[in-house]
Amino acid sequence: MRACGFIGLLLLAVVSASAQVDLSGSWSPSRATGPGAPAPPTPVQLKPAYKPAYDAQRAKEREANARGEQLATKGLCSPYGMPTMMQVAVYPMEIIQTPKQVTIVAEAFSEVRRVYIGKPQLPIDDVAPGYYGRSVGRWDKDTLVIDTVGIKENVPGYQGMPHSDQMRITERIRRATPDALHDQVTIEDPMVLEKPVTYTLVYKLMPDYEMVEFVCDNNREYVDENGIVRMRLRDK
Amino acid sequence: MYSDASPRRFAVRLKFVCALVAVVAFAASARAHHSFVMFETTKQVSLSGTVTSFEWTNPHTYIELDVKDAAGTVKHWSIELGSPSILQQSGWKHNTLKKGLEVTLLVNPLKNGNPGGLLIQANLPDGKKLGNGPGRGPQ
Repeated sequence: MRACGFIGLLLLAVVSASAQVDLSGSWSPSRATGPGAPAPPTPVQLKPAYKPAYDAQRAKEREANARGEQLATKGLCSPYGMPTMMQVAVYPMEIIQTPKQVTIVAEAFSEVRRVYIGKPQLPIDDVAPGYYGRSVGRWDKDTLVIDTVGIKENVPGYQGMPHSDQMRITERIRRATPDALHDQVTIEDPMVLEKPVTYTLVYKLMPDYEMVEFVCDNNREYVDENGIVRMRLRDK
Repeated sequence: MYSDASPRRFAVRLKFVCALVAVVAFAASARAHHSFVMFETTKQVSLSGTVTSFEWTNPHTYIELDVKDAAGTVKHWSIELGSPSILQQSGWKHNTLKKGLEVTLLVNPLKNGNPGGLLIQANLPDGKKLGNGPGRGPQ
């Protein structure tokens, strides 16, 4: 009887493990249109305490652009952190998958996230704030659901929006087709957002791609006394 | 009579709007890493000169170039390119340029008039033309 129970548990573990979809590989930012395309992003609706400052900052950025200048919005050699690191320009990311951990490596700035599969999430206040926070994951059929908390307040938010240390990011990652990955990102922040924001990132598979090293050791852009990004020149 | 309010017309418009939003969202994310606003993208300058260094680095690659004018005076230019990851997707390698190589670079100059620019196209001595990453040349 005890042996039957053991075999049952073993079978359950095998079935559970095989239920995991293989997300591993290198993925390049892409977009999808037409049938199967994800829904467009929901709007960012900030609470009244945050909206005026956010709108003013965006207006300053637009005015600077109109003058032919760029306002610095982050340290020019610092990483993006979550959630921005999940899609930076055309830089690929690599997913390394094991039954107990999914590791996501972004090529831009060599950023790394570790998603612990099957572990419970900690209370937000128990997670030391950082660029990537603490991520735990579970499988919902063919979808990896990731819960992330513990993002530092100075880490740039989605579309430059402010966020508090209570921000929670939920991602649903799945292979929409054999060659396409969708990451539906939902950001909740009871301190800052009136409503959660949801948007979907799309990637295409890059078979046999070898990730390129990215160490930010030759940054020639600097921020002047007015917060404007400038280029440092050499004389030889 | 075909009405604007027909479900079919509405569905077509909705699809168009959704596609447009997706394109705009992608363009915004693609722009997130770097703004080219400091360069005069409506102006192109051709620079023929000697490479003094080719720096295959992050967050950007740079070509340092000595350009001699008709009077023989040398002016030095710093030219910004995309990162190695982006450049290798359009034919560049870490050793594509070497010190002493004579090249002609087409660039968008800095708006402030300083001798710096953003590469549009590099014309190499062997006739090869290289742009500045996917979607950015060569012309």
